Amino acid sequence: MAYNKDLETREVQATWDVTTYQYKLDGRGAKVLADGMKEKTIRGIKCPQCGRVYVPGPTYCRVCYIDIDDVVDCSDEGVVMSYCIEMADVRGNPMDEHRVSAMIKFDGADTWFIGTVHGIDPMDVKIGMKVKAIWKDVTEGNLGDIQRFEPV
Amino acid sequence: MIMSNVAIAGVGYTPVFVSKRKDVNIAEMISESVATALENTGLTPDDIDAVTFGNMQTFEGLNMPHLWSAEHILAVDKPTIRISTGGTTGMSTLQAAYYYVASGLYDIVMAVSWEKQSEGDSQVGLAGIVMPEAMVMVQHGLDLFGGGGLSAMGGGSTGAASFQAMSYLHHSGADPEHIDKMAALERSNAALNPYAHLRKKTSVEDIQATPFIAWPLRFGHTCPTSDGATTCIVMSEEKVRKMTDGNVAWITGLGSATSDPSTANFLEGQLTDPAEQEPARIASAKAYKMAGIKDPSRELDMAEMYNGFAHQSLMWLEKLGCCKEGEAHKLLDAGALNIDGEIPTNASGGVFSTNAIGASAMNRPAECALQIMGKIEGGHKIPKKIRKAVSHGWGGMFQYVTVMVLADEPMKS
Ligand SMILES: [Zn+2]
Repeated sequence: MAYNKDLETREVQATWDVTTYQYKLDGRGAKVLADGMKEKTIRGIKCPQCGRVYVPGPTYCRVCYIDIDDVVDCSDEGVVMSYCIEMADVRGNPMDEHRVSAMIKFDGADTWFIGTVHGIDPMDVKIGMKVKAIWKDVTEGNLGDIQRFEPV
Repeated sequence: MIMSNVAIAGVGYTPVFVSKRKDVNIAEMISESVATALENTGLTPDDIDAVTFGNMQTFEGLNMPHLWSAEHILAVDKPTIRISTGGTTGMSTLQAAYYYVASGLYDIVMAVSWEKQSEGDSQVGLAGIVMPEAMVMVQHGLDLFGGGGLSAMGGGSTGAASFQAMSYLHHSGADPEHIDKMAALERSNAALNPYAHLRKKTSVEDIQATPFIAWPLRFGHTCPTSDGATTCIVMSEEKVRKMTDGNVAWITGLGSATSDPSTANFLEGQLTDPAEQEPARIASAKAYKMAGIKDPSRELDMAEMYNGFAHQSLMWLEKLGCCKEGEAHKLLDAGALNIDGEIPTNASGGVFSTNAIGASAMNRPAECALQIMGKIEGGHKIPKKIRKAVSHGWGGMFQYVTVMVLADEPMKS
């Protein structure tokens, strides 16, 4: 087949609204975590069958496929499971300030939460490192109440 | 269960895979690969019993592209299904064609896959995977693009992949420089492949001169966005005997498996390490068993891995049993992954050098088939005889894996 790079099709501009979604919020799941954060507490939901603790908790255990609603407190300290250092925007333009974004497993939980780690040279961060949540002075009961994480 | 033998009898690519095909619309571009597949197999439209068709959902913002393209893909009066399984789409589309033929329902099925990324917004398509969850997290106070740690995720798939890359490096003992080295090898392979998108001989220093997006991943570790299409003709053994010269590639094993989403599943608690990739082990074990392969690290002559990012080729070699955990970077250092090495890996340049997403996971087995048939056009032809090859697809929320084993001989029943 011929490939003619000089031939041009006509471009048509359009926009596409993708902003309307429904997501069930029934007082469990993320809301348990958010409400707990007002008291500077990490709350998850434990499966009575396999013992997994989800933070935030879904309304059912994804492994056992049973409804779960047993709220448990976890530590606000945890372990860095993986991380990256944000150094550029999506176009590849370097950022002035590098930032460590980490996946953190709170002690007592089985799931990975996300946050930023400060107070350490980004190149010194290690998988397996212990970190603790640094809370806002005045918490509001939402996922923004953890301001950052710092090494323990 | 004894399955009927099924072969890939021919492959058709678009003349090029590039950033923007401005000279054709979507259906016209797809039809180029269909016409080439017919030309390469000597078949006529009447020979095709059914069509499977795959591309990414939402990437071009189009519904029902398979029906819009009905005449261009020879689907009129024939069964036609569209398949969309994320990054694995191309191989799922080929596997569906295999199911049709292996079941005995049809003899000759055409599997068509494509993407025309220039006519859509890939970031919108990717965001559409997690948008409802992300919006709920925002409602609950998480700053998507600020200091909440999510901006790597918000920045697209490279950010998400960087967590996987870091975990892989940690557990495998490979250095970040091994990612540079794998990237340079594959880009240099791509330079030899006329159907690759980024075709420039590339050194480790060239890769290291590119900026980091999110440590440990650089701009030079990431795939391009491409326009292109690939068609495979899938045929029963009976038709291979009757209608071809016998030079085909046999699909001797296949498998697929999913785990829970192992990235960006924060609203319901992410359980799985994005570098664990247990589905790769499950799917490949199934495919090897079917293909009668007992030790993939010894029996395979080549590998084509799905690698949107350069660290993944190394990771998949381990997950698919082509070597032990933590050994892929040693094979790389020893030259075993080179085109003339023991287990040439992504001789084509991989997804990392050419990514028309819907077609990317079909190009992997297609490249294996062309190597087996000795029909590679270009300098990336592997110098040794290829008897057994493994190909792989990956995608979803870092969780879905497809595997296909190809061989120069059919399975004996
Ligand atoms: Zn459970």
